[in-house]
Amino acid sequence: MRKFLKIIAILLITLLALFPFYILSLLAFTPSSMNFAKELILLPKGYIENFGAAWEKAKMGRSILNSLIITLGAVTVIVSFASMAGYAIARVKNKVNRLIFYLMLGCMMIPGIINTVPLYTLMIKIGGINTHWAMILVCAANALPFSVFLYTGFIRGLPLNIEEAAIIDGCTKIGSFWRIVFPILKPVTSAIIIINGLNIWNNYAQAVFFLQKQSMRTIPLAISMFYQQYGAKWHLMAAAAMIGLAPAVVIFIIFQKYFIKGITAGSVKG
Amino acid sequence: MFLRNKIVSKLHNFMILPAFILFFIFFIYPLIKGIGLSLTDYDGMTKANFIGLKNFVDFFHDSRAKNDVINTVLFALGSAPLLNIFGFLYALLLDSKFKGKSIARTIIYLPAVVSPLIMGYIWYFILQPQRGFLFSTLARLGLDLTNFNWLGNRYMALWVIIVVNVWQFVGMTMVVYLAGLQSIPEEMHEAGKIDGATYWQRIRYIVLPMMIQPIKINVTTNIIGSLSVFEIIMALTDGGPGYSTESLSIYIMRMCYGSSTGYSTAVAIILFLIILLPVLISLKLMKSKEYDV
Repeated sequence: MRKFLKIIAILLITLLALFPFYILSLLAFTPSSMNFAKELILLPKGYIENFGAAWEKAKMGRSILNSLIITLGAVTVIVSFASMAGYAIARVKNKVNRLIFYLMLGCMMIPGIINTVPLYTLMIKIGGINTHWAMILVCAANALPFSVFLYTGFIRGLPLNIEEAAIIDGCTKIGSFWRIVFPILKPVTSAIIIINGLNIWNNYAQAVFFLQKQSMRTIPLAISMFYQQYGAKWHLMAAAAMIGLAPAVVIFIIFQKYFIKGITAGSVKG
Repeated sequence: MFLRNKIVSKLHNFMILPAFILFFIFFIYPLIKGIGLSLTDYDGMTKANFIGLKNFVDFFHDSRAKNDVINTVLFALGSAPLLNIFGFLYALLLDSKFKGKSIARTIIYLPAVVSPLIMGYIWYFILQPQRGFLFSTLARLGLDLTNFNWLGNRYMALWVIIVVNVWQFVGMTMVVYLAGLQSIPEEMHEAGKIDGATYWQRIRYIVLPMMIQPIKINVTTNIIGSLSVFEIIMALTDGGPGYSTESLSIYIMRMCYGSSTGYSTAVAIILFLIILLPVLISLKLMKSKEYDV
């Protein structure tokens, strides 16, 4: 009986989580002429023209490419820089490293908005407005504190012996990091890829400032356009949202089995 | 010890540099400049004049800002506890072994994968009066609430946003608690059972004390997250009706666009102080093992 109630509860909360996705598909697969106030539609109609229309109108191909470049670029920078920094902080216990670590931790609490205006003027000076590279660096910088924190926690829990063995076997010091330590970091790296990848894929607040040109628009900017510029075209917005969500959801499902492991290892035990 | 010194060498000191340089240029440098800007009357165009603490004094006479502080704090007071309570209950529910466990976890986390802006749009479509999915479907089933406007009601709108926010991010909180639950060894539960502890007693005396670290992480991230809420409010009510759901970050953004740049950075610093206080208190209260760097 107890088990039965539990299954029912789990089923309910799962359905609750899926509800908006159901609404989204209802909208995306229904012609615009449908009026939910006049007609009761409970199942998607299998109407697919919204996707083509949304794809064309929002130049979704271009937006996906922009989002991909920025997300992949930033995640690469985050993983390589944060893992090295985490290693230095966990292994080399000196004042400078400790200071940098606490500085970064403190900055995790600062709302990004304090930086936005000066960052904007900085971006104009270095010619970073409407460029991929500047957006990559801004997103990476914002994500560094949390990533360094996770890496440091994880590396502290690793025994030194493996690296010692590698050095004895003639591995260089930097080599021992990339070839021996880095592969062991896989669970945290996966968690960092998921958390930051999703945040950057969904980034709106910075993108709205730094990517103003049409051709530089990322997915969230393209989707919000259907709401803000064209006055709530729900069917197109839903189709565009489904296109934009697909890559994020697929990546999440691929990496999710490492996700809990990474969170446990990096933060909970830290 | 000899080998240890050999591995941890000067070279490793430089491994922190790429991260630090990047962080310095794109975070700390703008931050310092931002603090400087908050002491000026900069409007985004003309030259900035130093005006000392005037912006901070003005803040205390700004009724809209006061109203927004209240909204922001109310939002956090609603969101953070609900997220933690439901996140913990969800984690307890999903910690047991059953078929489809990982599918259920993935699905519950799924809403957090979507940007709050887009989730906000979808919930707006569901909740909007007259034509929205919820009320028009209820009307078909004979329950006519079509004139009932949740998002347009100044007393209710903020609570609706809180519920949507909790709904979207409960999976995130759950995952951290799940990770914590799974690090508790099975023997502890067995020992509790043998001693005749009921389920809730085991939760209270065995599980909770071992969950301090995950609680700390969740409470801190939820406080920071809910006090700087932005996108979900923009999508659902855009701060309205009136200013009844406007959060401090939305106000900062508007001031910043609306040629009160200097003032907006001052308000942003005040927001940071508002965030800092509860975070420090909660860290102090939950002080467990100290970090030794």
